[in-house]
Amino acid sequence: MSGVLTGLALARERLRGIAPPVVLALGLLAVVAAAVLERQSDAASAPDDVLSGAAFGIALPLFAYFVSERACDGKRLDHSVDGVARFGTNRRAALLGVLLASALGSAFCGALLAIFAILGAHAPGSSALLGDLRASVGIAVLAGTVYALYFGAASLFGKRGGGRKWALIIDFIFGAGSSTLATPWPRGHVRNLLGGTPVVELSQTSAWLALVLIGAACVMLSVLRTPE
Amino acid sequence: MSELRFEALRHAELAYVNAAFGAGTHVVVGNEGDGTGTLIAVAAGSVQSAAGRVLLDGAAPWSHAATRRRIASLCATEVLLPARNVVTGLALSLRARGDTRSAMSVLDDAGLAFFATKRADALTSREARAIALSFALSHREPSLLALHEPLSAVGIVQEDFLLRTLRLHSDAGAIVLCTACRLEDAARLGGQTSALERGIWIAPAYALPPISTVTLRVHTAEPRRLAARLSEAPDISGVEWAGGHEVLVHGSELERVAQSVVANARAEAIRITALKSDAPPLGALAAARAALAQAYYERSAATGNATRPS
Repeated sequence: MSGVLTGLALARERLRGIAPPVVLALGLLAVVAAAVLERQSDAASAPDDVLSGAAFGIALPLFAYFVSERACDGKRLDHSVDGVARFGTNRRAALLGVLLASALGSAFCGALLAIFAILGAHAPGSSALLGDLRASVGIAVLAGTVYALYFGAASLFGKRGGGRKWALIIDFIFGAGSSTLATPWPRGHVRNLLGGTPVVELSQTSAWLALVLIGAACVMLSVLRTPE
Repeated sequence: MSELRFEALRHAELAYVNAAFGAGTHVVVGNEGDGTGTLIAVAAGSVQSAAGRVLLDGAAPWSHAATRRRIASLCATEVLLPARNVVTGLALSLRARGDTRSAMSVLDDAGLAFFATKRADALTSREARAIALSFALSHREPSLLALHEPLSAVGIVQEDFLLRTLRLHSDAGAIVLCTACRLEDAARLGGQTSALERGIWIAPAYALPPISTVTLRVHTAEPRRLAARLSEAPDISGVEWAGGHEVLVHGSELERVAQSVVANARAEAIRITALKSDAPPLGALAAARAALAQAYYERSAATGNATRPS
């Protein structure tokens, strides 16, 4: 447990600084702007369009990518904990701490993105506002967490963690479809939860489960590929 | 009693290292290009060796967290863990080691309390190494202290404090493995001296078994370079260097050993100031050399290529 806390503290120190809040603020502004434009174009479908497009389709994966990159100090997930492992901390435990920090960070960003997207897409005083907020924040928290775990595990491939970049590209390309090829990536399941086209006709309950399974598989892969 | 073993180790500059260290102080003479920095990093479990094994009490530090916890190290390049200032960075390092002491007390003990509030990214590399050294020396019960050039931090860390702490750990049964690029530094650190020359391990004289039938004592100003060169020579069965200017060269035939020493010294442009054999006398060797040189001369004259033998 102390190893996890050490990894968490290490990642927290890396996530400090002025850059993350500035990037987050700019991203939120962009999402709000997109939401307002969608509302002006078609008020009825604006919440769905902005959530599945600008917020969860583009901004959330990018934020999760940057959070993972920064929490790992731009390195592979296993190498990112070498600094504390050298003093005797179990690499696997420290790695879980780093994953936890990036998952919390991404979930927080996702929740903010969802809130700002809904607020921008709904007209003031809309009756569906609260219901949409509740549902989309829940999806955002899960999606942010899974994306963080996914990018963390992907960084274990490549000498300098280049797998993380490929994971982002693969998720954009293969996750956009609804065939079997889209099954292992988070994007299609997040889209399903938002009411979009399901991956291989999975129900929304199965999409929740699929995301949880992807996250769990990523954690297991990260732990198994890392020496003590 | 702790034991550190390098078994057929190859990594970066390290060509092939087979060595074992018991409790006490051991100094490896050589510079970073010779692989001393790599040796310390591998011993500390900071990097995984490309080939061969490193074992501390039978466990590999790289893949065994409990073993790493018993190691205090100072690497060639030190970067403090990310933090607002030195004291919070050290606190995180202490937490990683499972040490409940305060970071301030560690700095205080080494006389470095004035660094406490300094930003970690504002430290010079020498200051960062001094703080890392104070952290390594603060380890309560290390099995191994692996320190790269610890004396280079003297001036920021007090030499008395450093040497006294190393002696305390050594007396308590820890393995103190230090590197030094100068013989004078090795003498100041004390203990057994061995060397690395371009990644080749040169064992201290006491570590080698008495294997030779003949022994040549070669005096030179560059014993490490010569020993490294000779350790690869086919006619030489063993090379010993005890830290001074004398290298002991073992082989089965005196003439072949002497020829190899001279040829290798020439090839490396190393000046030999004295060449002594335990037996037979040097006169026989001189005669053999002269005969050999004559033979080379006559052969080259016969082929029309009047060059001197190398």
